[in-house]
Amino acid sequence: MGGLDVRMHGVTCRHGRVEAVSGVDLEVAAGDRVALTGTNGSGKTTLLRAVLGLHRQAGGSILVGGRGTRTAAEWAWRRRSCAWIPQKPAAGRFPLLGAELLDSSHAPAEAAEAAARLGVGTLADRPLHTLSGGQLQRMYLARAIGCVAAGAEVLLADEPTAALDFEGQAEAADVLASLPVTLVVVTHDRALAERCDRVLEMAAGRLREVR
Amino acid sequence: MNALATADVGALLQLVPVQRAGLALLLAAVGLPVIGVVIVGLDIMPVRFAMMHVALLGIAVGLLTGLDPMLCALVACALAGAGVAPLARTPDGLSGAMGLLMSLAIAAALLLLAVSGVNASGAFALLWGSILSVGSPDLVVLGALAAVVPALFWWRRRDIGLLLYDRELAQCSGVPVRALTAALLVLVAVAVAGAIKLTGALLVDALTLLPALAARRLGSSLKSITLWAIGIGVAVNLSGFLLALWLDWPPGPVLVLMAGAVVLAVHLVSERRTSPWRAPASASLPSSH
Repeated sequence: MGGLDVRMHGVTCRHGRVEAVSGVDLEVAAGDRVALTGTNGSGKTTLLRAVLGLHRQAGGSILVGGRGTRTAAEWAWRRRSCAWIPQKPAAGRFPLLGAELLDSSHAPAEAAEAAARLGVGTLADRPLHTLSGGQLQRMYLARAIGCVAAGAEVLLADEPTAALDFEGQAEAADVLASLPVTLVVVTHDRALAERCDRVLEMAAGRLREVR
Repeated sequence: MNALATADVGALLQLVPVQRAGLALLLAAVGLPVIGVVIVGLDIMPVRFAMMHVALLGIAVGLLTGLDPMLCALVACALAGAGVAPLARTPDGLSGAMGLLMSLAIAAALLLLAVSGVNASGAFALLWGSILSVGSPDLVVLGALAAVVPALFWWRRRDIGLLLYDRELAQCSGVPVRALTAALLVLVAVAVAGAIKLTGALLVDALTLLPALAARRLGSSLKSITLWAIGIGVAVNLSGFLLALWLDWPPGPVLVLMAGAVVLAVHLVSERRTSPWRAPASASLPSSH
């Protein structure tokens, strides 16, 4: 089983004056699958984004594979080694084709193959904003599989099954759980949480172990 | 007989200034609509006004220091473009920044002009070009833009496509987001400022923004939008220029009105087109996993 360990110590993230994540300590062993649950606005998404450096007001230390992010090169390595499925795969300001999204995984062939398996292979020549929410989520899942094929060893997935139907949720959960990576997944989906080794709950920016 | 006073277009086309203007428009129509695509993609429509004022500030600095005013204007625009790049972090940071830039630049320019005792309208006049008065150096600049801008777009098409779609996704896909944004903004700033000088302030919109706005509706990817923008730019500019010659009207307004008519027509047509989100093929998950 592949994967890198993720270690967070005293991670604090602010949105202006509001402290969205306060003093989170988390150790995820290499290859572990961890579900992050909790009410809306409890800081799950912010914590995930902090790992990728997308949240600017973040303090504390986050190490992936023992490596920090002091330099631009280390950030580049972090973003290569951590695949990301964003919560709201927002239809952007400008059109992007499905194939271009799959290409951005740096393993276009594997991503396209995954898209075909997930039933969205024929949509690759369509702009993303013309896809439905579920189709878009499958596209992003296929992209993440491509990222893993390109060498990512951690997958940070933010509600990756929220827009899928029940059958799709189960299938996507199987796919996510079978990837040879360390998985940190924000989810309200029981089926997905059940496939994880650990379930953590976030409340008001703090983290506690549930299972 | 037509009521309008029409000219013999064939005879006019023998004139060197007219030939130069036609060539300038053709070159501009290749490079500048691509700049327009960036302007639409980064949502910085007020960039032309901002750059007019920043260029005025540069001219004021040039007049005060004795350096070449146009060079100062271009440098000022390049610096302003690079300076606002960090504001692209937030989604609406850039469009706000353009407004701020415009106010600050015009205030600083007027202050400088007042202090230096230069006539403000004289400084503004330096900024106004006309397509019928382009010289050989101007043609070289337009030619360089026509070559460099599409080439950069082709070379970096994946990165630019991701950046214009979603900055964070681009960042996580290994795109050098900061450097690329700064490079695009500098290119936009310099191209717009240069084009104002070469073609006149009004014509810049017909050459950059309007083809891109129409193309945004017609294309479904960065590549097709860019190609549409260039195609519309070339078609509108050449036909508009010939029309302006024929009717003996000033080319600037004719071209802007023509490009504007194309934008309106495209919007009306694409309103009627429906784009169903349902896939023709099955979208269900086959259980192959």
